[in-house]
Amino acid sequence: MKIALLLSLIWVPSVALGQMQRTATAQAFGVSVTTATVNQTTPSAVAPAEGGMAQNDAGDVTIASLVTAQDAYAIASGWADDGYSDAIGNASLGSVNILNGLITATGVVAIATSTAGGNDAYGSSLANLVVNGVSMSAPEPNTRVDLPGVGYVVLNEQIATVSGITVNMIHVVLQRTGLLGTQTLGDIIVGSASSSVN
Amino acid sequence: MTNLRSLAALTATVALVLLASSCDPRGDNAVAPTIGKPSYHFDILECRPFKMTGGGRIDYPPGTADKNPPASHEYETFGAHVISEPNGQTDELGHCLGAKGSLEWVDHRPEWNINGRPLNLHSLEIRWADFATDTDCADGGARWGGILVIKNTGQQSQFEVFDCDNGEPGAGHDGFGIRLWDFPYEVLCFDSSLPPAEPSCTLTGGNRQLHPTH
Repeated sequence: MKIALLLSLIWVPSVALGQMQRTATAQAFGVSVTTATVNQTTPSAVAPAEGGMAQNDAGDVTIASLVTAQDAYAIASGWADDGYSDAIGNASLGSVNILNGLITATGVVAIATSTAGGNDAYGSSLANLVVNGVSMSAPEPNTRVDLPGVGYVVLNEQIATVSGITVNMIHVVLQRTGLLGTQTLGDIIVGSASSSVN
Repeated sequence: MTNLRSLAALTATVALVLLASSCDPRGDNAVAPTIGKPSYHFDILECRPFKMTGGGRIDYPPGTADKNPPASHEYETFGAHVISEPNGQTDELGHCLGAKGSLEWVDHRPEWNINGRPLNLHSLEIRWADFATDTDCADGGARWGGILVIKNTGQQSQFEVFDCDNGEPGAGHDGFGIRLWDFPYEVLCFDSSLPPAEPSCTLTGGNRQLHPTH
């Protein structure tokens, strides 16, 4: 009896440890706005923790007077498996208009992929991107453009995370500069995908 | 059994290609230009437990490993997974019954904008899944299908996919293709010069992952 109890105490943690070592997470969203008065994300999809796929679409999106977007879709897929784990986040949008035309694009795709072999953002793209009146094609990862009086935008933002990657195709950081220095007021993110496996 | 199934699948493939071509309401050819002779992979199939997961992007046409110019909007995005649990039964075409999973597919091409939205396919049921033993997919290939709904119109259709895990990264290596049986739509790449096994189209983003057992 004592031996069985001892074995169970040894066995249970080892199984739990094995399960902890295999995770696959993925999520994606079309548009997210976070300010003092607005906190909205749509459409959003998060892969089930037990493995599987989730999807959501929002058609046309309008958030306050900050963002409009058409044909917004989010798909997230993740499976944890010994040696075969994979996770993919995928967000796509049609025409996008941010801050009354300050930033526009006719197509946004964000794809984050994680496997046992690594993480990548292949397939992500921006179509007909115009920032503050300037056309930009295929911006390099983490391209920052200042937006006078507004803050700045990071294009094709790629952030390495623990065992994964986050891709934000358009990330506007709203700022105000005053006597106390520069203050961040909020964020607008359009086309986001995240994935990780371990 | 395998030969009969292959013959049935080949016959069905030819018939469906002819049907899809004759039903195309826009009068253009939905199949990518053929370079070389199609080798009809995914025709030697067997019932086996497996799982295929992932998703991503295809730039079709042409369906190569290169992205089309983003402004062209010539691309498709998707997520798909299938879990094959053969129950010992087959359908009239010899496909292995006992499968589950899901498919979500969005075609962003302007010509496939239906009722003001990109063509959006959503699976209602995954019915069958076959493990393909005749592909050059390094980690494995599968052919599976079921019933989906075209969300733009509410119409339902049978469908099948050609699914290929050909190493990593998935972009530039793995493949995926889809064909509807009751609606004139397919994204298939009959091009023997493209990786991986035709008629799947090369992924330009994402990954397909074969899990040999589940």
